[in-house]
Amino acid sequence: MMTSGSITVTDLVVHYGERAILRDINVQIPHGQWTCLVGPNGAGKTTLLKTLLGMTPYAGSIQDRSQEVFKNQTRNIAFVPQSPSIPQGMSVSEYVMLGRSKKDGWGKESKKSRNLVKEILVQTALFGMHNSFVSQLSGGEMQRALIARALAQEPDLILLDEPTSALDLHHQIAVLNTIEILKERGVTIISTMHDITLAAMYAQNIIVMQSGKILLSGTADQVIHSPELKAAFDNRIDVFTLDTGRPVIVASKDFPINSQ
Amino acid sequence: MWNWRITAACTLILILVMGAAVSFGPIHISFQQVLRTLLDLPSAEHGENRTVILQLRLPRVVLGALVGAALATSGAVYQTVFHNPLADPYLLGAASGAGLGATIALTSTHHNIASLLPVFAFLGGVLAVLTSFFISGKFFAEPNTLLLSGIAVGSFATAIQTYLQQRHSDALRPVYSWILGDLTSASWSVVSWSAIYIGFALAILFSVSKQLDGLMLSDEEAFSLGINPQRLRIFAVGAATLATATAVSASGLIGFVGIVVPHLVRGITRRVTNRSLVSVALVGASFLVLADLGARTLLSPAELPIGVITAFVGAPFFLFVLRSRRKANF
Repeated sequence: MMTSGSITVTDLVVHYGERAILRDINVQIPHGQWTCLVGPNGAGKTTLLKTLLGMTPYAGSIQDRSQEVFKNQTRNIAFVPQSPSIPQGMSVSEYVMLGRSKKDGWGKESKKSRNLVKEILVQTALFGMHNSFVSQLSGGEMQRALIARALAQEPDLILLDEPTSALDLHHQIAVLNTIEILKERGVTIISTMHDITLAAMYAQNIIVMQSGKILLSGTADQVIHSPELKAAFDNRIDVFTLDTGRPVIVASKDFPINSQ
Repeated sequence: MWNWRITAACTLILILVMGAAVSFGPIHISFQQVLRTLLDLPSAEHGENRTVILQLRLPRVVLGALVGAALATSGAVYQTVFHNPLADPYLLGAASGAGLGATIALTSTHHNIASLLPVFAFLGGVLAVLTSFFISGKFFAEPNTLLLSGIAVGSFATAIQTYLQQRHSDALRPVYSWILGDLTSASWSVVSWSAIYIGFALAILFSVSKQLDGLMLSDEEAFSLGINPQRLRIFAVGAATLATATAVSASGLIGFVGIVVPHLVRGITRRVTNRSLVSVALVGASFLVLADLGARTLLSPAELPIGVITAFVGAPFFLFVLRSRRKANF
């Protein structure tokens, strides 16, 4: 697995109809590291994530391993959506096995894949419920099933859209720890996340977006301690540093969310 | 893994049901005699009974099986593609379009055109679906838009059909009889052209059935798993529409098969519907052959419209499956 190099985004513009959702995006996302896209709602984080996947038409250039990404299905990518469609009548192990479809062929299961899926189900604490239907899973379990399917893909790049939204803190940590397994394997991870504190805890790099543009990007440490971070959130956040040295970012009490 | 035992059981049931359907009727012919005649063995039926078996009942039973397989498979595919358990093969205006085509043929003053009813129904169904595709724009970028344009096109076709009926009140009875569906027009020529189109469409659907798993996910997930979701949807819906339009033009509008059978098979096999598509086709075929047997024997020598039987048997059975499924949180 290649861990050097980067995904290079140059002069990226994405339109939905007449409206420009992303403008003047220029950034390098390092391979083999975890990069988090943060920013307020409507900043364009999910659009950038889907554009990196290669499904959304764009102007400009996105180069990954010297190839333009649009409609390029030779890349080995896993995508974890914020709101997945839940297939009716599919068991958890069948759902995770879908991750092997590109390698084995649809409807086929190699012995290697069966062993790998079993291993992943144990790793993601889903083994006891492998015969349950995915429609029966709780929010946290479903998120783990999505990550398990992504693990089964053995991807070079994983894109996660808000992997911890709608989860309680305990499950957020459980899911993020599972994603860290991929980081340890040298997989490139790009995720959107609302919680900047969690982003700073797990990601090596943070990209701050606002109104379809990148305001700030760099290592997690640089971005968190940058004075521009507060400006990106209209000065409605406070950054504290705990005794352990860990940064904590919270909404500022002095500026209620609904005030202008 | 593919459960071949279920498929084998469904095949056996279909053979038995088809045998029974050829055997029963106003003239009862024993099962053994039917087999002897079909296999052209010594002591096979001759004369009138032979004609009843080979020229009347057998083409009707085979056509029933083809239409049942087409409607059930198309229903299962539509439900998968549109993520909608209530989707049926007539969703994109195929039924209304075919109904309009048939009404144009039946209300025509030229007898030659009336004899072309299946062609008119087929063209009406296909044109209605193509119009739905065309209006939805971006050629199937968004399944829900296609679904809504299908509903609009269907309503428009029904409005014209009603207008034509009112203008030609003498055609009301044949039009309604066609709308309720029947297999009385079955002949070997109808069977042969239906078999070609339906066979071709089902072969396509069976060949992509495993990939349809990907369409149960979001488009982004499907793309990351190596599928082109838009192309696969067009392929699957196109083949399902061809099967539906052929079925409708051969036998009129037979409701309920496309919804009931996929749910029934899913309830029994407890598998994702598109992974049991062959079983869905086989059960659909058995279901319609049985319904037609009921339609022509219950009030013998009079015949009931087959749609009455499919709804009468299908609705309670469907509710039973739905209730058990809810209990199992399936």
